[in-house]
Amino acid sequence: MLRPMPLFLLLCLVCTWPGILCAQDLSGIQIHGFATQGILYSSHNNYLSMESSSGSLQWTDGAVSFTDSLTNNLRVGIQLHVYQLGVLGGPNVQVDWASGDYRVNDYLGFRAGKVKTALGLFNDSQDVDAIFLWILLPQSVYPADNKSFFLSHDGGEVYGALALGDHAGKLLYRGYAGEATLDLNGGYLKLIADEGGLVFTTAPGGKIYGGDLRWEAPLRGLTVGSSAHVQAVDGTAPIGNIHIPSFLTTAEYAQLERGRFYFAAEYRREPPAPIVTIGPEVLPIPFDARSWFAMGSYRLSQRFQLGSYYSHYVNKDADTTLPANYSKDWVVSGRYDFNSYFYGKIEGHFLRGTGLGYYPSTNADGLKPTSNMLAAKIGFSF
Amino acid sequence: MSKTRCFILLLGLMSCWSAARAQDVVLVTNKGVQISAIRNADLRAIFIGSKTRFADGSHAVPVILRGGPVNEVFLTNHVGESPDEFRVRWQKAVFTGQGAMPKTCDSESALIEYVAATPGAIGYVSRISPQDNVKSITALK
Repeated sequence: MLRPMPLFLLLCLVCTWPGILCAQDLSGIQIHGFATQGILYSSHNNYLSMESSSGSLQWTDGAVSFTDSLTNNLRVGIQLHVYQLGVLGGPNVQVDWASGDYRVNDYLGFRAGKVKTALGLFNDSQDVDAIFLWILLPQSVYPADNKSFFLSHDGGEVYGALALGDHAGKLLYRGYAGEATLDLNGGYLKLIADEGGLVFTTAPGGKIYGGDLRWEAPLRGLTVGSSAHVQAVDGTAPIGNIHIPSFLTTAEYAQLERGRFYFAAEYRREPPAPIVTIGPEVLPIPFDARSWFAMGSYRLSQRFQLGSYYSHYVNKDADTTLPANYSKDWVVSGRYDFNSYFYGKIEGHFLRGTGLGYYPSTNADGLKPTSNMLAAKIGFSF
Repeated sequence: MSKTRCFILLLGLMSCWSAARAQDVVLVTNKGVQISAIRNADLRAIFIGSKTRFADGSHAVPVILRGGPVNEVFLTNHVGESPDEFRVRWQKAVFTGQGAMPKTCDSESALIEYVAATPGAIGYVSRISPQDNVKSITALK
């Protein structure tokens, strides 16, 4: 397995090879990519499966995409992605998305293949570090260790936009259906393995469908929207299985971009009812996640941004006074763009509760209910 | 020099600087494009990828400059975004599989050459000469 720093340096080398740094357009084929390297230090507990209490560099991410417009209406593309987050991910290259996109007109288009799933403000873009001020998006809604649960699906999507007139803004809509599989090296299955001993050798998955409707208001920069997502998961391991009947996840959100200011907020309800079977034992896991965040940022100059957010998660189906059933995170972030390609970020977290991001196997001595963290990241994109 | 003269000179310099800053770009299209004017809202929509056709129904192919003051003036005046905001918008589209970055040219002469050769192409430069095989159109508020 490649260690994180060598992996990052390899990605840098590939992407900064003379002539590659600028996005390439070879006979109409566009090539873009990004790579990041992070470090995380926590006062207590090991977060996101990293050995963060002693400072961890096990946090590398990179992707490269190829896109070709075959005709005015038809575009095809693929993005390859590799990540290491503590013990999650690994050197295996994954297909992030790979799709054909046929746009009939501005009102109607189709995508088919492996496509990113539209859910809330950032689900489909959550692993594109270069576009965010934040190092970690609000973990209550976009958990970095468990992003594969909703991230993409094999199937199709219908999309389009409808202008409502000069004084009524625009509606953007997306509807999709297909099948999603969990990442075998992702956090959800890692937690099941840690807590129940259930180790999967083939990825659990199931049918999904849903949609997203957002309104770009006539007030420039204001977007309000809502998503609904239905998903089922089934998987069999050598000593048992997991069954999550179809459940509905909903998200409501708003964002305002005005001059140097940016504000956003989102509320999500996610009530799956997993049933884990190990031998003769059937274990229903009570879970009803209510999560929300509110964030704001200000661009001090062309290169420098500052911001803060609060992220809140609670499992309403459990004792909400126990730290294991909630997570409340105050965050302060800064980002500096060295040029159009390279940037650096720094972020402080003041985390209360242990409901998200912790694994028994990397916290063998138990968890403290609170932890402060400092994260830093460098990255580039082209 | 009296204080009044200094003040007048300063005002004159400031107005020249403002005029230079406010100077707009020349919108150019392929000669096959039938329109002679375009609403700013439509221009913005074409360059952010939410609209793919001109008002006459023909396909639009946006072309941008890689950087520089002309690029900044165009994005600020007609798209309503800084170059960084524009880049981030397109990065999001590209890395989520929802779009392909507009054709990017390193120089104005390369942009004019591309627009001249590409049906439906629309771009912007600081000026054009009669020899350029492109058409100039007007942006409407």
